[in-house]
Amino acid sequence: MDVRRWRRALPPVFAIAGVLLIWQASCAAFGIPAWLLPDPWSIALYMAEEAELLFGHVAFTLGLALRGMLLGVAAGVICAVLFHLLPAVRAAFSPLLVASQNIPLIALGPLLMIWFGVGILPKLILLVLVCFFPVAWSMLAGLGQSEPQLREYLAMIGASRVQAFFRLELPASLPYFFAGLKLTATYSFLTAMVAEWLGSGRGIGYFLVLQYKGFKTTGVFASIFCIVACSLALYGLAVLAESRVLGRLRMGGNRAKGGGRA
Amino acid sequence: MTEREDRTEHALRMGHADGTEPPGAANLAEQTDAAARTGETGGGAWLLETVAVSKRYVRDGRPLHVLDRVTLGVREGEFVSIVGPSGSGKSTLFRLIGGVERPDEGRIRIAGRDVTGRRGLISYMPQQPSLFPWLTVRQNIASALAIAGIDRKKAAALATEWLERIGMGDTAGAYPDELSGGMKQRVSFLRALLVPRDVMCLDEPFAALDALTRTRMQAWLLKQWEAHRRAVLLVTHSIEEAILLSDRIYVLGGAPATVLREIPVPLPRPRRPDMWNEPAFGRLREDILTLLGRSGERDD
Repeated sequence: MDVRRWRRALPPVFAIAGVLLIWQASCAAFGIPAWLLPDPWSIALYMAEEAELLFGHVAFTLGLALRGMLLGVAAGVICAVLFHLLPAVRAAFSPLLVASQNIPLIALGPLLMIWFGVGILPKLILLVLVCFFPVAWSMLAGLGQSEPQLREYLAMIGASRVQAFFRLELPASLPYFFAGLKLTATYSFLTAMVAEWLGSGRGIGYFLVLQYKGFKTTGVFASIFCIVACSLALYGLAVLAESRVLGRLRMGGNRAKGGGRA
Repeated sequence: MTEREDRTEHALRMGHADGTEPPGAANLAEQTDAAARTGETGGGAWLLETVAVSKRYVRDGRPLHVLDRVTLGVREGEFVSIVGPSGSGKSTLFRLIGGVERPDEGRIRIAGRDVTGRRGLISYMPQQPSLFPWLTVRQNIASALAIAGIDRKKAAALATEWLERIGMGDTAGAYPDELSGGMKQRVSFLRALLVPRDVMCLDEPFAALDALTRTRMQAWLLKQWEAHRRAVLLVTHSIEEAILLSDRIYVLGGAPATVLREIPVPLPRPRRPDMWNEPAFGRLREDILTLLGRSGERDD
């Protein structure tokens, strides 16, 4: 890592450190009780003590989030390709899909529980519903945006619809796919956590509910830190995959299309 | 029968001839003269013909007549150019030949077979290099060959071999964005050259290049063509380019575009890039300019 990148990393590090310091100082200066707002140092201590417990719950939720994301992304890609190749299907189903994204999770969750019980299935369904949409929509846009010159060239040399799809449209849609993937990565962990509220005996979502019901505010904050860290890690993974793949395909310059960097 | 139909009929008949007849550019009086002169450049069967091809579009609710009974052809081993001002329907003609669109009237024939509206029968070099940015130079060439039905391995081997042959072996693994404009067009040309089709259609291949690169590319193309003698149909708006490279020139003009004249180029082969010095070159240039100028005035 060169000096310039270090320099860019410095301001946010200082900002975060500053916030933590003010937080710590305020808790001490105003004598705020721990059940109202624990200070960062006690939260850190708590997390260190309960590391094993927290890790177990986080790992469970992470597993759920990753499985849901995988299924959701696969569903998103299939949906995008289908819609792209069959405009009639697209016209028929796209309003339905957009509408499906407006159903509140809070309402959908209990319904899925009524239909599919409290096992993993309703949770995965919920995750897929949330994860597939950004990928599907973003990639669908990308599939329709390939370079007109290249499209014309392929037509002139007699490429078939399938050849044009695999040689031009699919590769050209990759930057858009990754834009969708990054959005999905951000949502997936939070959604997995919400899914655990629908009856689960494990996971960080379950742990969070347990803590706040017992007014264990320190535990609540510890959970929040875990959740934020995991969401960021998933997003980071998506960004890494994006830069690897697009870099290999000489599309690095298109990264701006993905909504910029974190 | 109206005069118009009669002309079409005439052109069609000429196209149906035994294949040694020049395609009837039955639009102007000069045509007889041109046809007579064509006899000199030698016979041979038509590889590619457009027979009385017409095309109309509707743009902004108004009918737009682009091509009017355009009849022209390319023989085996012949370099033929279509010259005309911008917007004279040259690219439309290529789309019809490529089968991407169908003419409203008239037929396209390749090697005597009616192929109107059929795609994948010509090799094509567009104005922009149109290389895929995520493929290397070698992969770009191989990909086009694969679409043309060549086995994947053989396509890659061919690409490597020919890149060596034109002195670009060291760029085989490079990506298009690492090449200059001229280099990209060389790759684009090679890609078209290697596709095993009867006719190469070059659509203003050097129009986007700067003047110096363009001159250099013309010399390079001349050298390549003299070595391979493929049947080529070149669309250009540069009269000099057409004269330097071609055996015959079709001058396209007017709105709707028609073949104003078919002109054999009286310069010997092999050609040298400095032939523009010769008096025959200058006379021909004047002729074509006058012809295009006259058609331009007529439109006003």
